Amino acid sequence: MADASSARNAPAPIRPDWWSKGVAGVILGFALAIAMAGLFAWIGPGGPAAVNKLQFVMWLVVPIWLGVASLCFLFRSGRQAWLWLGGANILAHTALLAARSPLLP
Amino acid sequence: MAIRTDVVRLYRQLHTWTGILTGLILFVCFYAGALTMFKDPLERWITPPAAVTPATLDRAEDLVAATRALRPEVRDFTLAVEPALAGEAPLRLTWTEERFDPAPWAATLAPDGSVAVEQLNPSGIGLLVDFLHRTVGIPGDLDIGTTVTGIASALYVVALVSGVIILLPSLVKDFLILRVTRNVKRMWLDVHNVLGLISLPFHLVIALSAVVFGLHDHIYDTLDRVVYGGQMRAVAAASSPFRTVSKDMGSAVMLPPREFLTRVHSLAPGFQPVSLEYHDAGTGAATVRVWGHDPRYLVRREGFVLMGAVDGRIIDTEYMPGHQNGWSATVSAFFALHFGSFGGGIVRWSYFLLGLAGAALFYTGNLLWIESRRRTERQAKGPVEQSRATRLLAAGTVGVCLGCVAGLSLTIAAGKWLSGMVHDLHAWHWGVYYATFLGACAWAFLRGASRAGVELLWASAAATAAIPATSLLGLVTPGLWVSDGLIGVDLVALAGALTFAAMARSAERRALGGPRDSVWAAAGGHAKSEMGQQPLPLPAE
Repeated sequence: MADASSARNAPAPIRPDWWSKGVAGVILGFALAIAMAGLFAWIGPGGPAAVNKLQFVMWLVVPIWLGVASLCFLFRSGRQAWLWLGGANILAHTALLAARSPLLP
Repeated sequence: MAIRTDVVRLYRQLHTWTGILTGLILFVCFYAGALTMFKDPLERWITPPAAVTPATLDRAEDLVAATRALRPEVRDFTLAVEPALAGEAPLRLTWTEERFDPAPWAATLAPDGSVAVEQLNPSGIGLLVDFLHRTVGIPGDLDIGTTVTGIASALYVVALVSGVIILLPSLVKDFLILRVTRNVKRMWLDVHNVLGLISLPFHLVIALSAVVFGLHDHIYDTLDRVVYGGQMRAVAAASSPFRTVSKDMGSAVMLPPREFLTRVHSLAPGFQPVSLEYHDAGTGAATVRVWGHDPRYLVRREGFVLMGAVDGRIIDTEYMPGHQNGWSATVSAFFALHFGSFGGGIVRWSYFLLGLAGAALFYTGNLLWIESRRRTERQAKGPVEQSRATRLLAAGTVGVCLGCVAGLSLTIAAGKWLSGMVHDLHAWHWGVYYATFLGACAWAFLRGASRAGVELLWASAAATAAIPATSLLGLVTPGLWVSDGLIGVDLVALAGALTFAAMARSAERRALGGPRDSVWAAAGGHAKSEMGQQPLPLPAE
């Protein structure tokens, strides 16, 4: 798989950190998916109130959430997973708060 | 494709554990889900033939009026159009008292113009298969079961992604290679990989949509609070087809049923109406949903157009194939891809086979885990005890999977025998299923995986063979009958029975002749201590 040259320069082996990565993927991944879907709802085409867009927004959550939850084991350690996903969450939720406005007059 | 070995090792562990945690739940979901593709033929196979002449809609208006007069409190009911025109059911209005009522009420019109109201006693096999598919048979509230399958489906997505990651490095080398050699474990792995890879798109679509179906209430609640500032209900209501319908509950005269069909036809000539669903009938707010399908579009099981029942105006087409906006059409497509409700018979059969292949995938997955956990006697220089976890998982796999298979086959066959003899056939269906399923599980743990595996495979073969046998007996036995035009049900069951019998024979051979340190070896069977003596035609028990 890995050839000799890349093996020489390879970083430290990936740490399993099952629990910390798993919890980060499930919880922070879900929070991130909600924020991304929310951003799509508010600044995506049609605005938040387009007919039946709500259902599409709900469907968006699942692939983002589980994509993050599946791939977050690629982080070098649980700490890395929490830092990166936590940072992404802060950015996405800040953006969502900025994008939101009162829905009903 | 190069992926670091430590990453592959990590994802192999992730794949193993998500698979082991969910394999048995997913087996039941997939096996029952495969059967849902043909739940209507199954229902008809069980139901005694009744002499019904194809009706016209000439008297439908009288039926609605007479039923309204007799039962003014019933304002929501359905007129099945397609079955009445095809002669599969009489012209009747049906309604239920709760959402999943197994025994709906029906009103029919006698020749003299009087209305008879009776409670129907359908077999309910379709409802059973559907509930099993959605809840794996967890009793109690539907929400509990669907939440469990939703969580299992989420783990299943993770298992799919990790399965692809561990397969990528050897993809070119191993793809579509089935090594039938002395190494049985290698062969099972190849079967598992081939099945998984060629049906990957199907599995991803099913897994992601199943998570949505199982967990959408929780996701909506979170969206409401975080994204829509607590006003999601208002957003949803603004999308409801009924948003512009008046609340006028004063009495009003409705148009005849035929008129709705005429108007739908002029709106969309390709739309094939199936039923008319009335809401608030006889009031100023009365509406009719004309349900139907249009094979040219991806729709949820059926689409509908909402019309005013008094004035016949088209109120909403957001669920009407070809008349939806982009959001609605996209979400409808997601539904259609899960249900297989597009493309007609070819897709229906493909989904049936893919569902069975999926069940086989989870079964072989569990077998792989068990085999890889096996401590071989080669290093240990003599017979070894298998670990408790291995023995329990082996017994559980055999009991749950074969209990589900045997239970479904037996309850289908029993339905035909019990039809007309009992008053609540749907309850009997559940009783037969649970008794068989729990009995098989208990049997597997009592007898151990190797003996129970063989015995329950024979039991599954016998239970499945009972379906065509019942039809054969229908030729000679009073009280039984041969269902017209449903030879397919019998043929598929026969093929299934032969498959289970072949698996039983090969499991028998392995128990006696296979490695004696396997969980599948018969106690005291004579030993040949090499792994997997004979190439097996099927993943042997």
